[in-house]
Amino acid sequence: MTIGITTYIVYLVVSSAFTIWVGRTIYKNGRVFLIDVFHGNETLADSVNHLLVCGFYLISFGYVSLALTLGYEVTTAQEGMEALSIKVGMVLLVLGAMHFFNLLLFSRMRRRATDRHNGPPIEPDSFTHVQQEA
Amino acid sequence: MLAMTVLYDPECGLCRRAHEWLAEQSKLVELKFVPCESDEARRRFPQLNHDLTKKDLTVVADDGSVYFGPKAWLMVLWALTRYRDWSYRLAQPELLPTTKRVVSMISQHRYQITRMAGLR
Repeated sequence: MTIGITTYIVYLVVSSAFTIWVGRTIYKNGRVFLIDVFHGNETLADSVNHLLVCGFYLISFGYVSLALTLGYEVTTAQEGMEALSIKVGMVLLVLGAMHFFNLLLFSRMRRRATDRHNGPPIEPDSFTHVQQEA
Repeated sequence: MLAMTVLYDPECGLCRRAHEWLAEQSKLVELKFVPCESDEARRRFPQLNHDLTKKDLTVVADDGSVYFGPKAWLMVLWALTRYRDWSYRLAQPELLPTTKRVVSMISQHRYQITRMAGLR
């Protein structure tokens, strides 16, 4: 097995491991948020959670796959390490961005859901008598 | 609060267009539209200063709270499912003065805007 192939394999293993780790973290911790958003409706929360994580995996693995090609020959172990550090670093940045995007989605959903039960944003100017309908 | 009455100016095209748009939006609080200074408005709110309602949009909640001008606009936003978060955002102390200024400007020039936009 050449050093180039080894580099690719290590890249795939490390990237996949990180992607799965982040995906599982989002899945496990996002569930609590979503149950709150959907007022304890666990079935709906699980369903939405699963759909979100599905999207996360598609985008992340899509990126890992697209970024695989090195475009140059790796002949020494040092070159392999350097290539790996760049590739894995990029994958980690993309995962980080995806993670914060997910957090943004969760917090926005939660705010929307809590807003639903909040009172008027401002105090009234005055009060008047309301004639009840007959 | 379950329902609010919106007293709008029936002679202004912009207000009528806004009314049509509002009617289609999904709501968290029921909105009832009554033309300002109409018999129905006077019957429902006998103690309200109805000369004032002609000047700017007025919202009366079912508990008798009266919101006038920019506050009425914020309350209408608050009633809408999609825009409730915007009502809180625009009512923040840092944004409220700007919100009031912009809304008052639109209200005061509603007939000109109606004419310019070709609304009838």
